[in-house]
Amino acid sequence: MSGQTQRLTVVPTVTMLGVMKARLVGATRGHALLKKKSDALTVQFRLILKKIVSTKESMGDVMKTSSFALTEAKYVAGENIKHIVRENVSSAALKVRSYQENIAGVKLPKFEYFIDGETKNDLTGLARGGQQVQACRGAYVKSIELLVELATLQTSFLTLDDAIKTTNRRVNALENVVKPRIENTISYIKGELDELEREDFFRLKKIQGYKRREVERQREAAKAYAEEKVAEEMSLQKGISLSSAHDMLSLAAQKDQDWKVDSDGFVLRWISRNAAAAATSPYYSAAWCNAFTGKGTVELLKDQDHEFEKI
Amino acid sequence: MYGFEALTFNVHGGYLEAIVRGYHSGLLTAADYNNLCQCETLDDIKMHLSATEYGSYLQNEPSPLHTTTIVEKCTLKLVDEYKHMLTQATEPLSTFLEYITYGHMIDNVVLIVTGTLHERDVQELLEKCHPLGMFDSIATLAVAQNMRELYRLVLVDTPLAPYFSECITSEDLDDMNIEIMRNTLYKAYLEDFYRFCQKLGGATAEIMSDLLAFEADRRAVNISINSIGTELTRDDRRKLYSNFGLLYPYGHEELAVCEDIDQVRAAMEKYPPYQSIFTKLSYGESQMLDKAFYEEEVKRLCLAFEQQFHYGVFFAYMRLREQEIRNLMWISECVAQNQKSRVHDSVVFIF
Repeated sequence: MSGQTQRLTVVPTVTMLGVMKARLVGATRGHALLKKKSDALTVQFRLILKKIVSTKESMGDVMKTSSFALTEAKYVAGENIKHIVRENVSSAALKVRSYQENIAGVKLPKFEYFIDGETKNDLTGLARGGQQVQACRGAYVKSIELLVELATLQTSFLTLDDAIKTTNRRVNALENVVKPRIENTISYIKGELDELEREDFFRLKKIQGYKRREVERQREAAKAYAEEKVAEEMSLQKGISLSSAHDMLSLAAQKDQDWKVDSDGFVLRWISRNAAAAATSPYYSAAWCNAFTGKGTVELLKDQDHEFEKI
Repeated sequence: MYGFEALTFNVHGGYLEAIVRGYHSGLLTAADYNNLCQCETLDDIKMHLSATEYGSYLQNEPSPLHTTTIVEKCTLKLVDEYKHMLTQATEPLSTFLEYITYGHMIDNVVLIVTGTLHERDVQELLEKCHPLGMFDSIATLAVAQNMRELYRLVLVDTPLAPYFSECITSEDLDDMNIEIMRNTLYKAYLEDFYRFCQKLGGATAEIMSDLLAFEADRRAVNISINSIGTELTRDDRRKLYSNFGLLYPYGHEELAVCEDIDQVRAAMEKYPPYQSIFTKLSYGESQMLDKAFYEEEVKRLCLAFEQQFHYGVFFAYMRLREQEIRNLMWISECVAQNQKSRVHDSVVFIF
């Protein structure tokens, strides 16, 4: 079941990205090398297979010949010849030893036979059948040669088969599981990093916006304040404030009921509406009122909204 | 013809001669061999043999049949017939019949001695012995630790004792190569048998001398050919030749110095009976020599049956049976190994 290739669970940092990239490079190189190894092993495998087929065929022929040689020996020397030969043996003259050979990194076992000691049987069947017995012996030595070779080929065949399966398994694993996983991880990390960057950027821009608006507003306020101040300075010097007279008249026209008839009532009402300015400098407004009404003192009355002081 | 055997032979030997002639007519004929050669499997062979005298011996064998089983059962039949004849025989026929089996006895003794030297199990060795060559104390051969004891304890009581003492002193028993010992024993046996037949006289002596001479000459030729290229010295070779026969003594001199098959052939061509054998072979070939010898032997054995009133028929019959068993073994092996084309290479027809 080839499920979705997940990605590895990692912390999406830049170092992690570097690590993942290194792993991807390693996986790619490993994949290429293993593929080469698998190809080399497959070539060897095919060679051995061909040799096995031909050896087996010749094996069939050789065994047939040697069994027939035995029959001939039995015919001439009597049925007991095989007992006579066998009882005359103390230890085997033909022995097999094994050694390892390295093919493309795989250790293959190989067998070879060697002659160790001699069984004295030159004179077997001296009176009859000696020739046949020697011929039989030669035929069987040849079949042993072939058998040893066949054993070597077959064990190498099995070992190589195993090795090829393992290597192919690894190649497929790298190709279909490890590399996609790493690639997914890398793209995930990259995505996360991009997102963080975008968040940062956005945050930055937003704060810049706030700050800019703050500054603008302050500048506006400061500008208005500065203008008024200049105007007041001028009107104070001249004894009247143009702007405020204009304002007062218009205001008076607008709102009658709020006005208390007072000697200087309408002035007080006007002051309450401009409480902000009044609050900032009551002395200024009081001075202004005095200046306007010609009186010396102004009494600030308490209202609902604003507190007036009596000066 | 030789000494009025016709007058007295049938008194003691007539019954058994009739028996043996009856057995002789039960040998497989050429038609039987042709049938057997046509068989495809061993079961076919068993079926054909059940129609012959071997039927009762083979019918209880389960299939799959093995070639060694066939040979065993046929040998068993031969042993039964031999024992039947032996129990009915009187002197000197009984001694004669025993002489026939001394060859197998020698083989068995040598086999057990070899096996004991290499520490094999006694029971296994006894099973591998030839049934015709068994004698009572054969199992005790395995007890002896060396050859001296062997001779002293066991062989002295057997009929083979004189062969050991004649040709070998007890020192030699320890060192000699087994094969040389076997052949020395066999040489002594042949000479003994020859002397015995000469003592019997009459037709027996003549016919048996002829047959034994052929046997001795054949052995001499085989020894010469098989010892070419081995470490057997010429003196040893000469010691193994029997001191009778057509080749004695001049042929033996020539054979002893031969180093080559062609030299052997040159030596043999001076003797007309063997010349015909060697002309059948082309130069340098020795595979067919054994078959040629077997054919010649069978011819001579069949001739033995032409005369009556002599013991040669018993010897001839045993040998012919052995040849028949060899033929059967060859046919069965060819059929079992799928080598039908080679069947006719080695089958020797008796009739």
